[in-house]
Amino acid sequence: MFDLEALWGVGLVLVAALAAAPFFGDYLARVYTNRPAFGDALLGPVERGIYRLLGTSPRRSMPAREYMAAVLLVNGALWAFLFWFFLQQGTLPLDPTRVPNMSWDLAFHSAASFTTNTDFTHFTNETQISEGALTIAWPLALFLSPATGLAVFAAMVRGFVRRDGTLGNFYVDLVRTMSRVLLPLSFVGALLFVAMGVPETFRATVLAHPILGGTQSILLGPVASFQSISLLGTNGGGFYSANMASPLANPSAVSNLFGTFLMLLLPLSAPFAFAGVVRRRNEAWPFVGTILIVLVVALALFLFYQAAANPALLGVPGLVQTVGYPVGQEVRFGLSGSSAFQVVSVYANVGANNMLIGAIAPGAQMVLFFGMFTQSTPGGAGTGFAMLLLFAVLAIFVGGLMVGRTPEYLGKKIETGHVKWSALALLVHPALILVPSVIAVALGFVRVDGATVAVSAHTFSGVLYEFTSESANNGSALSVASFNDSTPFFNVAGGIVMLLGRFVPIFAMLKIGEMFSRQRTLPPGPGTLRTASGTFTIYLTLFLIITSALLFLPVLAMGPLAQIL
Amino acid sequence: MRDLPGPPSAAGAHVSVRRRPHTSWRRVLGDSFRMFSPRREFRHPVMFCVYVLFLFLVVLTLFPYAFPDVARGYDPGYYLSVTVILFFTVWFANLGEAIAEAQGRAQADSLREIRSGVRARQILPDGQARWVACDVLRIGDTVEVQPGEPVPIDGDIVAGAALIDESMMTGESEAVVRESGGDKTSVLGGTRVLQGTVRMRVTAVRGESFLDRLIRLVEGQGREPTPNELALGVLLYAFTIALFTVVVTFVYLADFTNIVVVSVATIVALFVCLMPTTIGALLPAIGISGINRVARANVIAKSGKAVEAAGDLDVLILDKTGTITIGNRLAVQFVPAPGVPMPELLEAALLCSSVDETPEGKSIARLAARHGAPVRRVEIGSFKVLPFTAERRMSGIVLSDGSEVYKGSLQAMETYGAVLPLDLRRAGAEASRAGMTPLAISRQKKALGIVLLKDIVKPGIKDRIRELRTMGIRTVMCTGDNRLTAAAIARESGVDDFVAEAKPETKLTLIQAEKAEGRLVAMTGDGTNDAPALARADVGLSMNSGTSAAKEAGNMVDLDNDPTKIIEVVSIGKQLLITRGALTTFSITNDVAKYFAIIPAIFIAAGSAALPGIAFLNLMGLSDPELAILSALLFNAVVIPLLIPLAIAGVPFRPSSAIDLLRRNLVLYGVGGLVTAFVGIKLIYLLLAWLATLPIVQAAGVFVAHALPLGGL
Repeated sequence: MFDLEALWGVGLVLVAALAAAPFFGDYLARVYTNRPAFGDALLGPVERGIYRLLGTSPRRSMPAREYMAAVLLVNGALWAFLFWFFLQQGTLPLDPTRVPNMSWDLAFHSAASFTTNTDFTHFTNETQISEGALTIAWPLALFLSPATGLAVFAAMVRGFVRRDGTLGNFYVDLVRTMSRVLLPLSFVGALLFVAMGVPETFRATVLAHPILGGTQSILLGPVASFQSISLLGTNGGGFYSANMASPLANPSAVSNLFGTFLMLLLPLSAPFAFAGVVRRRNEAWPFVGTILIVLVVALALFLFYQAAANPALLGVPGLVQTVGYPVGQEVRFGLSGSSAFQVVSVYANVGANNMLIGAIAPGAQMVLFFGMFTQSTPGGAGTGFAMLLLFAVLAIFVGGLMVGRTPEYLGKKIETGHVKWSALALLVHPALILVPSVIAVALGFVRVDGATVAVSAHTFSGVLYEFTSESANNGSALSVASFNDSTPFFNVAGGIVMLLGRFVPIFAMLKIGEMFSRQRTLPPGPGTLRTASGTFTIYLTLFLIITSALLFLPVLAMGPLAQIL
Repeated sequence: MRDLPGPPSAAGAHVSVRRRPHTSWRRVLGDSFRMFSPRREFRHPVMFCVYVLFLFLVVLTLFPYAFPDVARGYDPGYYLSVTVILFFTVWFANLGEAIAEAQGRAQADSLREIRSGVRARQILPDGQARWVACDVLRIGDTVEVQPGEPVPIDGDIVAGAALIDESMMTGESEAVVRESGGDKTSVLGGTRVLQGTVRMRVTAVRGESFLDRLIRLVEGQGREPTPNELALGVLLYAFTIALFTVVVTFVYLADFTNIVVVSVATIVALFVCLMPTTIGALLPAIGISGINRVARANVIAKSGKAVEAAGDLDVLILDKTGTITIGNRLAVQFVPAPGVPMPELLEAALLCSSVDETPEGKSIARLAARHGAPVRRVEIGSFKVLPFTAERRMSGIVLSDGSEVYKGSLQAMETYGAVLPLDLRRAGAEASRAGMTPLAISRQKKALGIVLLKDIVKPGIKDRIRELRTMGIRTVMCTGDNRLTAAAIARESGVDDFVAEAKPETKLTLIQAEKAEGRLVAMTGDGTNDAPALARADVGLSMNSGTSAAKEAGNMVDLDNDPTKIIEVVSIGKQLLITRGALTTFSITNDVAKYFAIIPAIFIAAGSAALPGIAFLNLMGLSDPELAILSALLFNAVVIPLLIPLAIAGVPFRPSSAIDLLRRNLVLYGVGGLVTAFVGIKLIYLLLAWLATLPIVQAAGVFVAHALPLGGL
């Protein structure tokens, strides 16, 4: 069965992340509400200089529309830059790597993927992307996309404490997220990765002489810093195509656990940051509780399916199955170590792989699917928690009715507008997954080497996973070998799905934040539903699980569920 | 002026007690079918979807070959069964609404009977009187009503006083006095004058009177969806759209991947089962019956919104007098002055109180008699009554022998000239501190002692205030009494807070202060000077006996003049929301069980060999796929009529804390919904399986297979 030693390590990582989250969340709350915070003396003047350069002022607070326009401006510029870069990547000056330029559709997909914090790659790093793209263009997105997510999170939760119908200044949030959170933390993370043996160099390649003869060129570069921000910012992807399964990126069990910790840090801090912003410490716990329950159950189920014998091989005489599903696993970290990394990676919407998801047990695949369906346990940096808040808004609406009062949350009444936008943000997800899947299957876009293939349950899982991962801005992929995903259809459809899956919910989050900001805050009375309670935590968890399951069970039945024996 | 032509009332409807409303089942049945008209159905999006799907299946069942693509896997018996169940689903939903409406209509009919055919004796500006139809009366017109005549329309008495029978409106058989001046001037159209002739100024035109409003309200006409109802509608709508996407994409995916083959009827069944039909079907009934429950409590709410606002209340401002206390101080104790024998005090007390018609006076006389006061016969005409006046602030009696017996406040007694011994004064002060009112009794300027009057808290009010507290509502008592008295009453009744020495405008200030902090405030009132506060309060319950100004200002009127009725309204408001939330939860958790019935059935029907993994979903062990789907669909339909009583009566509501309510209702309707659906579907499946073995059913199946599709093969 699974290795208990590594499981202890996983438990340790969870506890460490949980221990760090309240402090870090409190720090985030200070950063986003301009309360005195560590580093003010040093960074304050620098930030003010940047604001002057950008021509904005921290005092200028934006309503939802304007905030959204700023989000789209920055992200649009980022996307355009990436698109241009990838189209030209092989012919840009000062870049020694002469990889081919990307086709327009691949460039579109890649640019959308990096902009939206998805980092789903339809290319192979080693042969299809230039050194410049890997060290300049992509890392720029690795910073800007989580910064956008955190800024939106900050704007939305500030709606609970502001009273003027505005949310704050996007540029200020962006700059402060960079200077106070992402740059310093990823720097520390990179140093620790280097200490664990991850390369950090500007040398592009080294030649190795394997014992089998011949020579092998091994890609090098600023792997540690790339990976640090990639995991911390819940981006995913990796310097190497094999992501965290590559021994260079993930040299040891310790670096594996550290990576797991980095992925959890921002998503788990978000509830505490929220509680800090609204100045009610206990309000973090229902969310932390919900996240932990779902995450731990998911991990347990994942381990269960991976450790079980392959039922298809049960009848084979003489075959003793004691190691579960070893295919696709990173055996260096054992079942527990690689499973924990993979589950956390998918559930935190990072999407970095250290397993070959296409090869793992169907039940385990289903567990991963579920994480992408909720997108919020804990979900990506900032947006994951904002999504959980939307679930909470709907849960509180139904639950609030059940206590016989117009539902309210933290003194803000939940009205038609909140329900409408929350429902939109949550329901756009199934549409973005299912409609393109139907188009892909129905119009024969599921192809291998240009020929349309019959779609089996396994191939269907691949298609479904593709769009699920893209809509959730996750970035993990299952579709190895069952069909070609780097085709114009999957590039364009996937790109659109990622962009809509990112920015439609963001707009809804901002809208809801604005509505909260416009509403007066009602004082808590004895008749108000107490949300900081065990009952509410369990209710929120069940609400989240049941609503997600209701929407996705039929398609799951056709894919991974159909394969479970 | 007295020799007017025309009878007082054309209809001569002599309604003494309001007829008990009853529901006409034939009408309900008729209505439930009339509601099949597309325009009616369109108003409820969720049920409209089911309705459209039903029509679609009707066509498909009869003429499958018109749609060669769609009719794959056509099975006449199965298609017909699904169609029939869909019909019942829609019909059951209509039935719920029809029953709720019928109950309201029954109430409205009995009210309308009161209103019919009344004419009025209008007094023209020149003093002339003439009979006119009520329709032509305008606000401000003057009307005269004589004994035995019905009051033609709502108005304020401007001259005279009358004894009025309001039983047809309130069900209260005791007649009430209404008179010009003061706070008891308003009369309702439809009531009847028993004694006295009054002139009244019309305050409402026909169609806008309270009666009209009540009728419209209970009939559900112009019932605007409340904000909560709208928000819930949006949620259900969004959920339906999402499920639509899920189900339609499922069909295409199944079709193009060939992983499973699904027939159209099955996919329709799946969609209908998953849609929140239970709550969607019962939503209108819940709203209508909520208003009806309020009306049945003899409260006229001006809008459904006001009723829901009552459920949200944070603060309730209560008048002390009439609400918390029975309104009259009662004598509880006599304290004789030092050296004065008790019987002497009792005799004096009885003497000066036996001619005092005030409740206080009566209670003193009663208490004195009970303590054995010597009864002395006094001839009529041998004494003079000295009533209470503002200057004297005492009342009393002058006997034929010239001796004066007075009772009054200690202060007034001193002004009058009676010397109060120190002991008496001390006892009086002590009593004041305990919230009682001491009255001194004197004879010939000699203080004999004091009698202590006490405000009596209404029986049961303490429990109701406790209930309010568990519901999270803070009660504030408002009184003109001094702090000591107020504090004592507050303590005794258990209110959370009190305002003493309140002036008429205090309530308004109080309401504004609470609202400024974002709280929802309710108050009750009847006087004209309550009107601004009633208008400002989120829920203003005015008393029917109050002035028109007060009734206009509030958003509810209690016909029974019972200020504690507000508590009932709060409960109804909460119950309304809870019923909606509970049935939504029930709908959602039901879906889980339906999935476990339908998804495996779809795969089993497709030949499960390809996908053995699905078998483990088949928790209920439903082996026949078509029967399994029909069971789920039938359960979905049957649940609607079973829940109609719950929707109409409201879910049982016990005041308790919010978190307790959530826990309780989650278990009851969440877990309950899950278990009910699993058990229900399994039972229906067993029933259907048994029915399928009956020869007659099998024969019917053969017949259907022959008869359908129309147009033949």
